[in-house]
Amino acid sequence: MKRNDFAARVFIPVLSILVSFLIGAVIIAAMGANPLEALQYLWKGAFGNVRNLGTTFARATPLIFTTLCACFAYRCGVFNLGGEGQFIIGAILACFIATKLPVTGVPAILLCAVAGAVGGGLWAMIAGLLKVYRGQNEMIITIMLNYIATLLMGVVYTNWLRDGNIPQTAAVPDEVKLPSFLGMRATIAFPIALIVGLLIFYYLFSTSSGFRLRAVGLNATAAKVNGFNIKHYVLMSFAVSGAIAGLGGALELLGTQFRLINGFAAGYGFDGVAMALIASLHPLTGILVAVFFAALRVGSTMMQTATGVPTSVSDIIQALVIVFTVAGLAMVRLPAFRNLFTRRARKEA
Amino acid sequence: MKRKMFALMIACVLTMTVAFAVTGYADGRTVAMICDSSISDGGWGMACYNAMIDAAAKCGWQTMYSDSIAQSAYYDTIVSYCDLGVNMIYAPGNQYTDAILQAAAEYPEIAFALLNGGEDTPAKAVNGNVSSLLPDAKQIGWIAGALAGLMTKTGTIAFIGGMELDTTKGKYAGYGEAADFVAKENGKSVKLLDPVYSGDFSASDKGLEFAKAMMDQGADVFFGDASAVDSGARQAIDAANEAAGEIKIYDIAQPADLLGQNACIIGSQVTDNSALIELSMKAVEAGTFGGETLYGTLQNGVLSAGKLNADTVPEDVQTAYAGYIQQMTDGTFMGGGAKAE
Amino acid sequence: MDIANLILAAIRISSPLIFLSLAELYSQRAGLVNIGIEGIAAIGSLVGFLVSVTTGSPTLGVLAGALAGILVNMIFAFATITLCAEQIVYGMAINIFAPALAAFIYRVYFGSGSTLVQGDLMATLENMLGIKSDHFLVNLSLDQTPMVYFAYILVIVTGIYFARTRSGLNFKAVGEYPKAAATLGINVNKTRYLACVICGALAGIGGAYLTTCYSRTYVDGNVAGRGFIALAAVIFGRWNAWGVLAACLFFGFCDALQIRLQLVSNAIPYQFFQMIPYAATILVLAVIGVKKAGPKACGQPYRKEER
Repeated sequence: MKRNDFAARVFIPVLSILVSFLIGAVIIAAMGANPLEALQYLWKGAFGNVRNLGTTFARATPLIFTTLCACFAYRCGVFNLGGEGQFIIGAILACFIATKLPVTGVPAILLCAVAGAVGGGLWAMIAGLLKVYRGQNEMIITIMLNYIATLLMGVVYTNWLRDGNIPQTAAVPDEVKLPSFLGMRATIAFPIALIVGLLIFYYLFSTSSGFRLRAVGLNATAAKVNGFNIKHYVLMSFAVSGAIAGLGGALELLGTQFRLINGFAAGYGFDGVAMALIASLHPLTGILVAVFFAALRVGSTMMQTATGVPTSVSDIIQALVIVFTVAGLAMVRLPAFRNLFTRRARKEA
Repeated sequence: MKRKMFALMIACVLTMTVAFAVTGYADGRTVAMICDSSISDGGWGMACYNAMIDAAAKCGWQTMYSDSIAQSAYYDTIVSYCDLGVNMIYAPGNQYTDAILQAAAEYPEIAFALLNGGEDTPAKAVNGNVSSLLPDAKQIGWIAGALAGLMTKTGTIAFIGGMELDTTKGKYAGYGEAADFVAKENGKSVKLLDPVYSGDFSASDKGLEFAKAMMDQGADVFFGDASAVDSGARQAIDAANEAAGEIKIYDIAQPADLLGQNACIIGSQVTDNSALIELSMKAVEAGTFGGETLYGTLQNGVLSAGKLNADTVPEDVQTAYAGYIQQMTDGTFMGGGAKAE
Repeated sequence: MDIANLILAAIRISSPLIFLSLAELYSQRAGLVNIGIEGIAAIGSLVGFLVSVTTGSPTLGVLAGALAGILVNMIFAFATITLCAEQIVYGMAINIFAPALAAFIYRVYFGSGSTLVQGDLMATLENMLGIKSDHFLVNLSLDQTPMVYFAYILVIVTGIYFARTRSGLNFKAVGEYPKAAATLGINVNKTRYLACVICGALAGIGGAYLTTCYSRTYVDGNVAGRGFIALAAVIFGRWNAWGVLAACLFFGFCDALQIRLQLVSNAIPYQFFQMIPYAATILVLAVIGVKKAGPKACGQPYRKEER
């Protein structure tokens, strides 16, 4: 049973990816472009040389953070859809610190990272407290908080922290920017993201606290009966997942974007949730999935500039991967589907 | 089962890596344009795209473009074109300055032409491969303002901006002062409403609401700087005119001659970007491109006034307007302080 | 500031919201949280625009938009009802997929030409009657497209349906206690599919409204978050038709106010006004507590085999 489960969780995403690419190739061909050539540019744009690889990693870094955020929360049964808002709050705080406070260098970076994490955690706690003390479904609340955070960022870059005449904040000073990772365009934020992923993996699967958290997520009633403090774990998972996203936001600002502008972090939160699900909530697989999606996005820019195939084709492919994977994973959990396998096993036995 | 699948996946990856090779790019020169609005926006994007096509046709270059790009993707798209080996990147707007400078520093062999770039931008480029193409914002404002001053009946005129760029503010200022001057000469007084900025160049329904709100405040001549947002504004103006039964609220289009696109358009301020782009292309061919600001003015023909709507603009106004344009070109408009900066 | 024009603007802005909110209401009343309204509206607006431009009839455009909405929502329906996939996640997937599809179809159909494509708008009642007036009340009541009247009639119909008809009460039962409803002989899955059809149709109509009755052009991203405001309106309006209407009008008013305020003063950043729908929803949820927070079985998949 366990082997079948694992097989399904690997097989379905891979199958979804293949089917989605197939459909994408059909669309590209229907547009009159050469699918093979387009896919070739997609690949080249993502992995073709060191610079592009660096761009892929750089684009993957924020996605890894939001994916880990969603993973961690879901493991406790918490549907934290507010990754985007928490990410943005972290970035706002980091922007303020980096551009307005008289700190510089490594202390500034550390301060921004900590502030980002704390800000993201607190933002998530709003929904957490409402869930625990008012019984409210956190899904809707976190979505609403996302929009409020985005609009707040709008006030920040059009008004409070605006620099000059274009609606954007001042750029993070050079001394506070993150150093590059191996000379690539990706910064040390990328290995930091990987380390965070490893830490989460270790916590969830090798500590008793993590075990309890997962127990709460799998069956809250049983956990309560066993004496686990549900409220404590739920609130903790909100806070920690929000902190991860907030940290991601701060690092993204200091490492890649340098300014808050319209469209900063657009879609990262929801993408993270989707990727967490595709990865079956496993932190390390989540990292792989995030890199894959980032590659799709980075590659599609080159595909678009070289062959004229619009980037929306790549968006469709990504969306189809999510559509098929989530449906497929749900399907294999259906009782009717499982009966198919047990009946066959009984026949063979 | 596990092992088989991993093997399969690794095989796929290896096959893909081996199968893909690098391709070079075709010969002949190429210019690539990036634009944050759509090239079919009925305004800026459309005009700049057409200007590039015209200039390329005259110089025998090929063209590529990407439109509707998010601000966070400017740099990546530019770099993508650079990697493909284009000869010139054309960016129509001040908002691309950051991305252009960043890319220019990494690709010294490629020319970067920044429309509406700042006068100090070419100096900031370490490789000296950036030039600003700068139509004179004040003169642009004048061309529209003079017509507004002549045509307004309510004495209130309006301006809708996209992003609050320096060039936009320059156009706004020129619009206001020219309208004021012309109105006074014709025995009227004119009030220019505070500008509104839509914050982007594509939200046409914002333009609709802005125009409605400004019409409520009595504005009867509109000018703008905001591409698709202007289209929305024109839609609202047309609707108001239809409800009133006559065309009494007007719009001055830009940056191309859009006469006939909407009933409310009485004239246009025309910027012939293609002349500026052509100059850049010739400079690239001669190897002299970079490090300077190319101005576009009435004097050198890049700026001009478009055709007036014969149905809505009376003969005497047409003549008076032509006279003002001549003054602007001669440098005698508004008492002679009118030189290109 | 002119109050009369402000009210007219509020009505104008809230009309598409009413369609989107009613769509979500029907869906949630059957127990399905559909956050993909935004995506469905995007497809609806594109298809509506396309059909309107090619056939010259905005009405056909609206119908086509409804059809497109139904088709897209059927994907959601199949995945969440039959496959029991996570509803929120699937709604999100639709939100990513549908706008990309819409952008793609637009690019393919209209090509990369640079002419502005403008469609015709649906004629308002004033136009049809041949009246031209500046009077506020006349404008308020007559200067609206038939779609606006349809929206308000729909609100009334929905209110009566859920409160007074047996079919409506059965519908609600599916969202509150599907197992109990099943024991009464109500086909839970069929009701949910029906809800998805209605939801898809209304969301598609709401999207098509944007390009056939409001603006003459289609732009990527023209839905601009209205789908999520609709979600807020359903919650803020406490899951009944009248509350939803009031919420839409309120949110529309705030939006109209915010635009006009930008002209008058820059004192309060306009984004704070745009936050009102979302903040209000959170406030309502914080205050009313879990007991009155919507259909009880909302968001949960229904499995016949479960006890």
